[in-house]
Amino acid sequence: MERLSRRSFVKIAGAATGAAALAAAPPIARAGIGEEGAQHVDPSTGVPEEPVVAYVRDARRGEVTVTSGTREHTYRDRALVRRLLHAARKEVS
Amino acid sequence: MSSHREAPAISQDPVADNADVYAFVSPDHPETVTIISNFVPLQGPPGGPNFFEFGDDVLYSIFVDNDGDALPDLTFQFKFNTTLRNEDTFLYNTGEIDSLDSPNWNKRQFYDVSVIRASGHGNGKKQHHEQDGKGEVIGQNLACPPCNIGPRSTPNYDDLAVAAVHSLAGGIKVFAGQRNDGFFVDLGAIFDLADIREIVNGMPSVDPLKTLNIHTIAIQVPISLLTLDGSVPTDAMAAKSVLGIWSGASRRKVQVRDENGSAPKGSGPWVQVSRLGNPLFNEVIVHIGDKDRWNAVDPIDDAGEFESYVNQPELARLLPALYPGAFDHLAAYNGTPRADLHAILLTGIPSGIVGGFQNFTGPNPADMLRLNVAIPPTTDNPNPFGLVAGDAAGFPNGRRVFDDIVTIELRAIAGLTIPLVDPSYTVDAVVTNPAFSSNLTPGAGRYQDSFPYLGTPHDGFDTPSS
Repeated sequence: MERLSRRSFVKIAGAATGAAALAAAPPIARAGIGEEGAQHVDPSTGVPEEPVVAYVRDARRGEVTVTSGTREHTYRDRALVRRLLHAARKEVS
Repeated sequence: MSSHREAPAISQDPVADNADVYAFVSPDHPETVTIISNFVPLQGPPGGPNFFEFGDDVLYSIFVDNDGDALPDLTFQFKFNTTLRNEDTFLYNTGEIDSLDSPNWNKRQFYDVSVIRASGHGNGKKQHHEQDGKGEVIGQNLACPPCNIGPRSTPNYDDLAVAAVHSLAGGIKVFAGQRNDGFFVDLGAIFDLADIREIVNGMPSVDPLKTLNIHTIAIQVPISLLTLDGSVPTDAMAAKSVLGIWSGASRRKVQVRDENGSAPKGSGPWVQVSRLGNPLFNEVIVHIGDKDRWNAVDPIDDAGEFESYVNQPELARLLPALYPGAFDHLAAYNGTPRADLHAILLTGIPSGIVGGFQNFTGPNPADMLRLNVAIPPTTDNPNPFGLVAGDAAGFPNGRRVFDDIVTIELRAIAGLTIPLVDPSYTVDAVVTNPAFSSNLTPGAGRYQDSFPYLGTPHDGFDTPSS
């Protein structure tokens, strides 16, 4: 996953914004369970008190933003974007 | 209004709506500066059973720039927490509230105060939205007063308000809670296409805010804690005497709401949803399509498009159309960039314009209140028209609670201050007509002589009175 700085991201954001959003807590693995590429979540690592949220910021660019605590990071991960969009389509169908 | 409900998005989010900012050298403690930032505007005093309060999910900030780069050198942050003593009642209070820890007071609010100190000039400092809300805690679990409910619930309200003034280390005082809204304007007339009653109809103006309350965050800080070099400046012409001051409110980037009715949970960085420096800036100067964006960015971002709104204010173009023949000089001047307004609102007034005075913070155009702390407070008959009336302790040298900023800004936009930068300009006669003003004098009780300077809030039993 390629991480973008906030400043560089702000410059390119705003064209195509999120097509899908998933709240990771409490249904932390909603999108991934049983699907190819899903990763095991170890409960012993602790569940954050606040939600960890991943949303597709720019589907065309393959950008996902993850918010946790008072921080956010934007990654370029086309595979994850495809999986999130796939999960979103399943949710609405 | 000054900034009450001034932008589309924030008009739907009252607890984060930054309605007024005041900053002045404290008249009763001239070694300090008082900064007041108001939220939750237009409160009808009887508004129970869940009376007004700050948002637990909002980060409230007061920013101070002491080196003229329009970036905060000090940020005071306020975070609130509401508690219930008894969940098995519908009541805010179950008896008289005679103290801040009264067992009869059910729904109470507390807050923490933090300060973030930046250093250096320019890009090394962070803008507000890059701060994480984790400064040095200087006050913890401080009690707000209750709202003023009525004679059976809060019969000794002033005692409760005094108890809610907290003294912190370093000579800092803070208060957060309900107060009388000190801002005054004939709203109904202004928003009916500037239909100034005294001019158009010969009728007295109406002040709809005179019976409404607001929530105030007030902080009084020794001047030496605010200035760049820790001094108490006495030379009004020195750059270090001028502070840039503004405030704002932020919400978490993401909010997740569960189906069980529990409080929404936030995630991600704080995102500014409201800000305020000079009164009426976003309200009157910025165009409606850009108001929400203006609220989200910082003073340092005001260069460019927002600057152009100052240089060519829409109201200056409207006045000649609304009052044909009354603003001929202004109409002829429209099209010329308003260097007077640019200085007053965006850079401060340089030396050489007003004798013995300056509040210039440098060429960076940024909307901030600019307070020259070397100008002593006017304690003997202060003039609510401030600097334009010869009282240099008033707006636009900071802003006092009683300053008539509607009249000052209305007349400035109408051309009163153009001669400061263009001596060849002749001000239209109507601009100095006494009726071309707010035509309002705030009544007794609107203000008080000591911190937090805004008066006792109206109680819900007696207001409205019929």
